[in-house]
Amino acid sequence: MTEKKLTTSKMNRREFIGKTTAGVAGVALGTVFPRISSAANDVITLGMNIPMTGDYAPWGLPGLYGCEIIAKNINDAGGVSIGGTTYDINIAAYDHGYDTDKAVQGFKKLVLEDEAKMVMMLGGSTVASVLPWGTRKKVLTTTLLPSDITPDSEYLVATCESHPLYNVTGVEWLARNHPDVKTAAIVTNNDVEYGLQSAATYKAAFEVAGIEVIDVNLHGFDITDFAPIVSSVLAKNPDVFCMATSFYVTPLMEQLYHQGYQGKIISCTLDYYDEIIAKTSQEFVNGTIYQFPDFDDPKLTEEGVKFPDPGGFDAAFRKDHPNDWSAVSWEYPTIALNWIEAAQTAGSLDTDDILAAMKSTEQQFIFGGGQWWGSQLWGLDNTLVGRWPVVVIEEGKARIQEFGDVAGWLSSNTEVLVKHMKEMGLRVV
Amino acid sequence: MPKKYTNCAGLAGLLAALVIVPHFLKYHHQDFLIFLTINVLVVSSYRLVTLTGEWSLIHAVMMGVGAYASTLLTKSAGLSFWISLPLAGCVAGAVAAILCFPLFRMTQFYFLIGSFAAGEAIRLCWIHFIQPFGGTGGISGIPFPELGNIDFLEPVPYFYLVLVIVTLCLVLLYRIEKSRIGLTLRAVHWKAPLAESVGVDTWKYRSLAFIIGSAFVGIAGSLKVHYLGTVTPNQYGIGFMVFILIWVIVGGYATFYGAIIGVVVLSILDESFRGFEELRPAIYGLILIASILFLPSGLESVPERIRGWVSNRAAARNGPGIQG
Repeated sequence: MTEKKLTTSKMNRREFIGKTTAGVAGVALGTVFPRISSAANDVITLGMNIPMTGDYAPWGLPGLYGCEIIAKNINDAGGVSIGGTTYDINIAAYDHGYDTDKAVQGFKKLVLEDEAKMVMMLGGSTVASVLPWGTRKKVLTTTLLPSDITPDSEYLVATCESHPLYNVTGVEWLARNHPDVKTAAIVTNNDVEYGLQSAATYKAAFEVAGIEVIDVNLHGFDITDFAPIVSSVLAKNPDVFCMATSFYVTPLMEQLYHQGYQGKIISCTLDYYDEIIAKTSQEFVNGTIYQFPDFDDPKLTEEGVKFPDPGGFDAAFRKDHPNDWSAVSWEYPTIALNWIEAAQTAGSLDTDDILAAMKSTEQQFIFGGGQWWGSQLWGLDNTLVGRWPVVVIEEGKARIQEFGDVAGWLSSNTEVLVKHMKEMGLRVV
Repeated sequence: MPKKYTNCAGLAGLLAALVIVPHFLKYHHQDFLIFLTINVLVVSSYRLVTLTGEWSLIHAVMMGVGAYASTLLTKSAGLSFWISLPLAGCVAGAVAAILCFPLFRMTQFYFLIGSFAAGEAIRLCWIHFIQPFGGTGGISGIPFPELGNIDFLEPVPYFYLVLVIVTLCLVLLYRIEKSRIGLTLRAVHWKAPLAESVGVDTWKYRSLAFIIGSAFVGIAGSLKVHYLGTVTPNQYGIGFMVFILIWVIVGGYATFYGAIIGVVVLSILDESFRGFEELRPAIYGLILIASILFLPSGLESVPERIRGWVSNRAAARNGPGIQG
């Protein structure tokens, strides 16, 4: 019967195998022969060893799209001059799918075969797996999670997102603008890299702001039903519902809406907030406080913000990738721009020179300010902290309210932060 | 020349090729070769468990048991890699021995589900007990092996180390399969009531296969973490277990080399499609579907099918008169 089906169909088995093999071979050959660059300038390659497939892809792929826009803008403008030579910027990316084996392979490919001068990574175990080799070979590597930094990881830096330190600015703004708020409940996933770090930081921020934390609800990644979590938290009647990490913001917001929550909401991120509004209501989402702006925000044109033409970047991104904007869309480009600036200051492509230039330059953070910090927690001052935006949804649109001072908060309250990190069993030097 | 000698010569040639190959590979492909060689041990040890007819979903977790054991033995207890490597296998085997009591009260589908539940329980322990397992972030800074002036942070020396250990393990697994124990394991699979009627303790042999398979995959786990330098619970979750199943099923499990062919072919195919990140899962899926449709007995059946096709063609060419 199968044979009959095959012979009476338009394509028989032999043809199917032949054409499939030809197609597969064609695709494979495409990987063998790289694209030929038509650039007239010399080329500097910056590497991205990130998840582009799998669960973590939303924290990788939009960053690549952002970097491609930045690189195109730079190259169209004639390139960058470093040490008297003009270079075009090339972005080389490797998809590790948040797998440590692949992360190691990708890192070495980017450094040795693509000759990347810097490798941008998301963070977590994938960074830990590349550190031994990367440190020995003096590969400048960036992470969005400064908790990856160890006393030995000299060449690992966090120059943009310093997850979750910036969250303190949102709590500070909340306490100042809503003095009636007295209690908060924190909900987050129970992973060490993202969830617990963030919960500890929010606890410290609430303590400093004089807001009592009445519940910390930790859940696993495998959870599918958020109704019981939200019910149990709301039973304690918190004035503030705090989502410390971003993995499950949308289902949590849906549950808050359906269970009639009317208090304040603060969250680390609110990626894809248009979808959240579509699933709940604009009225409900209005007033939600979080930390990651849209780049068409008028406040990003203020003095002190270093990102070039944020509005143009936002428009270009949304034109090419209308549904992909997330927190990392501008973070990886910011890291790339930071590296370029440091290389220009150093006048060299040498890693040690660039790292020294990064650390010698003050006032270089994307949103203004800038101070190298972290030895109190992770053993090295390799995290750049500065001003960070507090964002609130107004009329269905993200709007920056102010730029909070992360470095200032840390200089006064590091002990409180260390206490809560230790209480949650997190590594503190 | 007798077939035995032909096979030995073939294996010697393969080993010689493997010694040379890394020097002709790109740097990141040398890493790929290391992980591939370790995965060869993973699927071969899994196949030993399946010889009794029981398919488990805990093999990836048992690899993690070996990985965590080796990590803690070197980082916390201060033992050298050379001692922790065999001990990692012993710990994985010991954990498997304990699990035999609840798990082998079940068979077939119930065993499959039971093994998944037991594996998840172990994995959740790694996540929830931040001390000593490090939670979801796992443990980093795992020391590399030390031996004289050899630099095991570089891929080629580490590949040779992996090649030697995996080859030794494969020889042992092969000897076990071809021994009286191996024959009994097959009897337990295909004729369990008959085997019991002649005094074979089927529970004991199922347990034995599970313990031995776990011990070998524990060694694979140790080899992996001492190259990566980090261990996390997610590396050994159901996602990796699904890959093990796919490698074994697509490669075939009737012969010793079937699963090895599966892991080698599928891993190389997966790596070949880099540059097409968004299409890779779809391409991989299509290849799987096609291989299951057209090669239900696995890749190991390809030589047999080719021989059959050649003889059929010869018979057709010679005409029916000859057959008659």
